[in-house]
Amino acid sequence: MALLELDGVTRRYGALVALDQVAMAVEEGEVRAVIGPNGAGKTTLFNVITGTVKPTAGSIRFAGQPIAGLPSHQICRLGLSRTFQITSLFPEMSARENARLSAQARHGRRWQPFGGAHIFEEASARADAALKQLGLSGIADTPAGLLSHGDQRLLEVAMALAQQPRVLLLDEPTQGLSVEETQQAVETLAGFLKTSGMTVLLVEHDMEVVFRLAHRITVLHRGAVIADGAPDAVQADKAVQEAYLGGFE
Amino acid sequence: MSAGLRALLVAVVVVLAAAPFGLPPFAMTLLTEALILGLFAMSLDLMFGYTRLVSFGHAAAYGLGAYACGFMLLHTDMPLLFVVFGAALLTGIVAIGVGWICTLATGVSFSMLTLAFAQLLYAISFKWTSVTGGSDGLAGIPRTAGPFGFDALTSKTGFYYLVLACLVGAFLVCFALVRSPFGAVLRGIRENEAKTIALGYNTRLYKIAVVAVAYALGGLAGALYAPFAGFANTELLFWLLSGQVLIMVIVGGSGTLVGPILGAAFFMLMEHQLSSWTEAWALYFGLIFIAFVLFAPQGIWGVATAWLQRSRNPTRAS
Amino acid sequence: MNTLAFLLTQIVNALSQSALLFFLGVGLTLIFGLMRIVNFAHGALYMLGAFVGYSLTKWSGNYWVALAVAPVVVGLFGAAFEFAILRRLYRRDAHAFLMVTFGLALVVGEAVRLTWGPDALQVPAPDLLAGVMFILDEPFPLYRLFLVATGVIVAVAIWQFLERARLGLLIRATSQNADMASALGVDVKRVRSAVFGIGCGLAALGGVLAAPLVTASNGMAATVIIDAFVIVIIGGMGSFLGSLIGALLVGFVQVFGNYYLPDLALAFMYLVMLAILMVRPGGLLGKEA
Repeated sequence: MALLELDGVTRRYGALVALDQVAMAVEEGEVRAVIGPNGAGKTTLFNVITGTVKPTAGSIRFAGQPIAGLPSHQICRLGLSRTFQITSLFPEMSARENARLSAQARHGRRWQPFGGAHIFEEASARADAALKQLGLSGIADTPAGLLSHGDQRLLEVAMALAQQPRVLLLDEPTQGLSVEETQQAVETLAGFLKTSGMTVLLVEHDMEVVFRLAHRITVLHRGAVIADGAPDAVQADKAVQEAYLGGFE
Repeated sequence: MSAGLRALLVAVVVVLAAAPFGLPPFAMTLLTEALILGLFAMSLDLMFGYTRLVSFGHAAAYGLGAYACGFMLLHTDMPLLFVVFGAALLTGIVAIGVGWICTLATGVSFSMLTLAFAQLLYAISFKWTSVTGGSDGLAGIPRTAGPFGFDALTSKTGFYYLVLACLVGAFLVCFALVRSPFGAVLRGIRENEAKTIALGYNTRLYKIAVVAVAYALGGLAGALYAPFAGFANTELLFWLLSGQVLIMVIVGGSGTLVGPILGAAFFMLMEHQLSSWTEAWALYFGLIFIAFVLFAPQGIWGVATAWLQRSRNPTRAS
Repeated sequence: MNTLAFLLTQIVNALSQSALLFFLGVGLTLIFGLMRIVNFAHGALYMLGAFVGYSLTKWSGNYWVALAVAPVVVGLFGAAFEFAILRRLYRRDAHAFLMVTFGLALVVGEAVRLTWGPDALQVPAPDLLAGVMFILDEPFPLYRLFLVATGVIVAVAIWQFLERARLGLLIRATSQNADMASALGVDVKRVRSAVFGIGCGLAALGGVLAAPLVTASNGMAATVIIDAFVIVIIGGMGSFLGSLIGALLVGFVQVFGNYYLPDLALAFMYLVMLAILMVRPGGLLGKEA
């Protein structure tokens, strides 16, 4: 059974169909990329899966459990952690505190209004491990607002990772980075994915990034899935080429 | 908090505890009121300083606590101690409803909703004459000793110690709160609420909880004020007080707990000093306040601690 | 007195009250729409308008001079305040404005008390409007009818100004996207000063117009600022039409509430507001908060 399964997922905004009968299945340990031209519905797909937007129709199952329509914080707690296209951090907290607050969200007593040294310790341990996996240990005490763009993007990933999720959703992790920064970030991510065996759903514009990281690719066009398969097969697909080349009519 | 600061605070509490032996009665009255206002300002700091929930209606907590306490002291034989904490608890319970509604909105709309609630109570206090005494308010509020031998608390000095104990206790509660896992989430809400939600926190519950605690402590301050002054009137619910307490928090230094207490003391001092020098004290106070927002948004305590740190590590001064 | 005539009297009262509230609310909402500033000093400037109007009437012996000049004086004062103080705060969060304008409210309130003294001052209505007019055998004070007419004229004027005039266009563009407007060559700084000044001037206009009805007094700022907030919140922050609807709603709730439910009148306004906000947190015509 797939870890994350979508079936007939549709989202309409008035007359606009942002997602049209999307079906896909992400296996455990897989790195899946979702690509498509601008406005294909990639970010809407993320928002629907993580519960920030409710699907108009269709079912979403996570580890066999239906999650469509649950509030986003509950979906998050089941083990789906995401990053955002636009960097969103706690700028005055250090990188470690950012990751720690993220890890704390998974703790059973995250709301404890007194003491809580052991909660902080556990969360800190997870935070430090996540920072280490993404090569950020050296800047753990720097306020997040003062980090370089590349490190801020990686810190977002580390924050998601500190929650020890079962599925990591990355929304354009190299968005806004220079070519050089992108290369560095991709190498770090590739190294991490290889060693961790994490299940990942990745939305990305940059094809080089996609082909470097993904095991399997799903192509969205105008809200519908037009191709789904191994990177080579997708690259050779006629419909995909048309969608990309003819995307600006 | 560093060991040095902790020692300083303990020293301040010791000095405050010794104050009745050295100060004249007039000064003791001022000091008692300053501590009550300090408690009130500190309670707002939980919302404003630590969660960036800007309440423009915190007078609601103060007034509600004062009226509840005054009413119970006037119309029942319940002892002072019980009534004061009962009124605080009642304010906290009402605040759960207030928080539930106000947190439907965010940002400036949240501020306006808190203001609306305070004004609603203000309107009610005028009209519900049988309970509130209308525009005359409640007068002649006694300090009922009660049966358990708490007589000591009803004297002027005894009441001062009650106020001091409440302030120190509330400070310790707030201090533990902001350093706990709960407090870490509040800080997350302050810096980036959208991200805090994305991490899986139900931020609205945290906000309602902090509103309830802040109102309960603000209500405690009001509940102490009623038997201190002997009256409770509509002014205690008026928006001007909500604005003034916000000034105390900012001038003292928000997000520090200690700062707002200093801010309240500073406010009292200015009111009495300026008003003895010039009739236009409120004018100067307004100007001082504007200057703080413009040039020292970190407040008295923020400036003082930064200065202390700099003088301790002169190498980092540049 | 027959019911129809009575109802008509109440409606005229409510409409004239709404007109006064509208002058306050529309300035507040224009300023908020453009700069995301809640101007806490709005009530104080309304009061300042009334007192400046008093002095001008006394000095010139002519109420119409006061009506024309006082809003300009207060408007210039507002623009100067924006220029000298608020401009420094645009990089800070919205609450800095709330606090600075609260400070301004204290300063203006105190300055008025020191300049004009603590007593309420009578501003006589001009002779032309001092009388009454009979409709259905009921006497209507001309001054209230004049207020209603002024309210309609000002509302139409502002609407046309926003729709047609060049500055109105700039204001709307800047409200929607200040960075974009700036990139297109709009001098956003000057638009902000202008709008803050206009908003303050409108508040002062309300003050001058209210003075013959309620006298100029130190207490007039404190209650009126809350009414103005309620109007803007009900209508939706930043919405011109919203402030008009809000002013009408509050004016009618106040006047009719006072007559039919005098015990609840004050509270009724806030209950209406809370009810609206629970259904639409951004106000009737506002964007979702």
